[in-house]
Amino acid sequence: MDRADPIAGRPTRGIRAAARLWWVFFRVGAMNELQYRVNFFLELFQSLVALATGLIALALVFQHTSSLAGWSKPELLAVMGVHVMMGGIIQTLVQPNMDRLAREVQQGTLDYALTKPRDSQLVISVREVRIWQTVNVLMGLIVLGWAVTQLQRGIGVVQALAFAGALVLGAVMIYCFWLVISTGAFWIVRMEEISELFQGVYQAGRWPVTVYPAGLRASLTFLVPVAFAVTVPAQALTHRLTERTLLVAFVFAAALFAFTRWFWRVGLRHYSGASA
Amino acid sequence: MSAVVERSGRPAAPGLPDRPRVGRVRSMVDLYLTEMRTAIAVQFQYRVANYFYMIGMVAEPVIYLVVWSSVARSQGGAVGGYTPGEFAAYYIVWTLVRNINIVFTPYGWEWRIQKGQLSGQLLRPIHPIHYDLGYFAGMKFVVLVLWLPIAAILSLAFHPTLQPSGLGIGVFFVALWGAYLIRSLNMWVLGMITFWTTRVSAIFELYMALELIFSGRLVPLTLLPGWAQGVANFLPFQWTFGFPINALVGKLSTTQLLEGLGMQALWIGIGATIIHFVWRAGIRRFSSVGN
Amino acid sequence: MPEDHPVPGPADPAIRVVELRKTFVVPEREAGLKHAIRSLVRRRTRQVNAVDGISFDIAPGEVVGFLGPNGAGKTTTLKMLAGLLYPTGGGLTVLGATPSRREKDFLSRITLVMGNRNQLEWDIPAADSFELNRAIYRIPPQAFAETRDELVELLEVGDLVRKPVRNLSLGERMKVEIVGSLLHRPQVLFLDEPTIGLDVTMQKRIRAFVAEYNRRYGATVLLTSHYMADVVALCKRVIVIHHGRILFDGGLSGLSSRFAAYKTIGVTLDDPTIDLGAYGEVIHRDDQKITLRVPKLETSRITARLLSEQAVADLTIEDPPIEDVIETVFASGEDDERLPEREKVSE
Repeated sequence: MDRADPIAGRPTRGIRAAARLWWVFFRVGAMNELQYRVNFFLELFQSLVALATGLIALALVFQHTSSLAGWSKPELLAVMGVHVMMGGIIQTLVQPNMDRLAREVQQGTLDYALTKPRDSQLVISVREVRIWQTVNVLMGLIVLGWAVTQLQRGIGVVQALAFAGALVLGAVMIYCFWLVISTGAFWIVRMEEISELFQGVYQAGRWPVTVYPAGLRASLTFLVPVAFAVTVPAQALTHRLTERTLLVAFVFAAALFAFTRWFWRVGLRHYSGASA
Repeated sequence: MSAVVERSGRPAAPGLPDRPRVGRVRSMVDLYLTEMRTAIAVQFQYRVANYFYMIGMVAEPVIYLVVWSSVARSQGGAVGGYTPGEFAAYYIVWTLVRNINIVFTPYGWEWRIQKGQLSGQLLRPIHPIHYDLGYFAGMKFVVLVLWLPIAAILSLAFHPTLQPSGLGIGVFFVALWGAYLIRSLNMWVLGMITFWTTRVSAIFELYMALELIFSGRLVPLTLLPGWAQGVANFLPFQWTFGFPINALVGKLSTTQLLEGLGMQALWIGIGATIIHFVWRAGIRRFSSVGN
Repeated sequence: MPEDHPVPGPADPAIRVVELRKTFVVPEREAGLKHAIRSLVRRRTRQVNAVDGISFDIAPGEVVGFLGPNGAGKTTTLKMLAGLLYPTGGGLTVLGATPSRREKDFLSRITLVMGNRNQLEWDIPAADSFELNRAIYRIPPQAFAETRDELVELLEVGDLVRKPVRNLSLGERMKVEIVGSLLHRPQVLFLDEPTIGLDVTMQKRIRAFVAEYNRRYGATVLLTSHYMADVVALCKRVIVIHHGRILFDGGLSGLSSRFAAYKTIGVTLDDPTIDLGAYGEVIHRDDQKITLRVPKLETSRITARLLSEQAVADLTIEDPPIEDVIETVFASGEDDERLPEREKVSE
């Protein structure tokens, strides 16, 4: 294991430095979580229950119909797999940090994070990790594997690569979306409800966004990028994804990331602490 | 000022009840009203945050509604006795019931204990459950005001078919508060598990999952297979969702309406009894471990 | 055997503590991911005797300072007295009640103010939180208004009660916090670091207020503080606790005479240039006065020598500052060999 202190004494810029900082926080977070061993089993149990709930909903729908907006049952299973997996990624890495950010802004304790000699956006994005939530990532992968074996058309290297790319872009967009909203906490004091907002809207991704009426579909694509996070990767697996969509995803992700960075700086300048 | 000095001039006599208090019942009513006023004052300041919360919450029934309307249409107009219009009515009423249902969650307990809030409440001569019941009841008035425009938009978008009976409307308003009480008590029981284990969230999520299926939150219970409906009858969940919704949407007979209120009363009694005993054990534990 | 006990006064003590003990079991873990994983399987715990057999009585109306370094057991004791913690052993009565039963009548007669805790609603003006306390403590409206106005005036809180608590400064928040804690006019006040983090003016204001409250209502006050000035200003009696045991219980002056190893002698000489180093350690000198530090037992001998050998215009003998005494007390507690083994490691 790397015993050198990754925080002090090194140049503080660049992806490697960022990764090292992330690893430090990851270790601490993991150690913290490991204390609560019961929660691992409960998380596993809970993840299974959530999965069962999703399958039940799916089964209930297909009890009464054979296809939903042109998607067959195994295809919807694949959507569900991506949804669970992406949900796991978000809950492991993104949500805990954003919850903490909103909380600290409200209580005026964010200053501690801002006094660190590192990129502030980086610091507030990597401080927390909930490793037990990775159970959901595994669970999503299992569902996905199961769905893929049932699909009529197999998956080639192209589909797999497109899937991986779409997944990364989707995760970046979700992170950006959440950080932009959280940054709003600098103006509106209490933003803890963002989690609730996101959790609620994210559930829409359990179904392909093509199910929804046009207005909702547009919102779920560009307002809350659930479509990019779940439907687009699922399209890659089901031979629905066009190069154009993937390109749009890439451009949108890059633009959103740039916007997020800019907006975070504006927010910081505005920040004066809750007690002021 | 002189009156105060005069009254307090006598030496402190330990252990002797020496000062007037407001009567028991009146003081309880007073406490609830004051808590409710406090909640309204606090929550109104956070109307933006509350709106976020409500939009997140509204997403859920809209998803169900879209999916099931789509299924109903593809099956020639109705599924399990529900037309798209009736689904719309079901899930729009759902949003109100859900808002009334929101209570202090077990997550809050963790915070409450860590931050010493519970210690503060224990120093006061009133059972802390009254703070929560009063506070969250007060919050409902703010929520209700915020909910009305959302309900209007949903109604314009999804064209609900709603023909409630007079009794149905009456039962609905009682059942809303019955649902509120049952859920408050259940969440208190779950929250008190925090006395024994520091992270109760997993158990809480399990509760939520069971509730989702067996309450009528995911789908109207009549869409579940027969055996699952049988299971639901032995659980408290449907009295916090399906029952109040159906009371208004008009799917229940007079007998079913009145029986439903009775079942709500029963579950309130069960919840209160459990809290009575678990609270005692919990406090004993809390005060031997500290925080 | 009545000789063994203090003669019971006309009133019972407000607080009686007999051989009070509190033991916590805390998990023990070494740092590092490896140990974290290992502790999943095997968990080492350790017993800590936070309070280890203390006894004292406090009479109604008394103001007592409760001193000790961090982790001495002060807060644990206060929490037991307030009924928040259940004692592991020993007896405890406050106003004739057993605190851990948390009877409503008992709770209506006490208050616990913690300098770093917040009990008022964060988002609304304190005045609204006061209303909440009125309802909780069942205070008749008339009495409530009188007490509130009186406290608001005494603490000079004024318009602060109409601002949301989150917008108040630390000191302002503490003041409204105190008003809120006293609306039900408790007879016993447990004040845990009530002046922590406040500036000197604010500390003085709160000190004066506590003294006034005690005088007006004859309330019993048990106070912990890191600021000796609080204790000196308010308490005639102090209880010093260290490692969960009582090191000293008595008057402030007694504390000095018992624990101070030194006294200071202030000497004004006709010729201020003379070096007094031969008599003791010179710790301060200005134009006229020279301050010497001498071992306590030598004080009278050195004083006699000074008076006979030098042309002394004025001479005073003083106890060292109370902070220094307290420091000596805690230091002596560290090496006290009578203290038994406190911690046991178990698996």
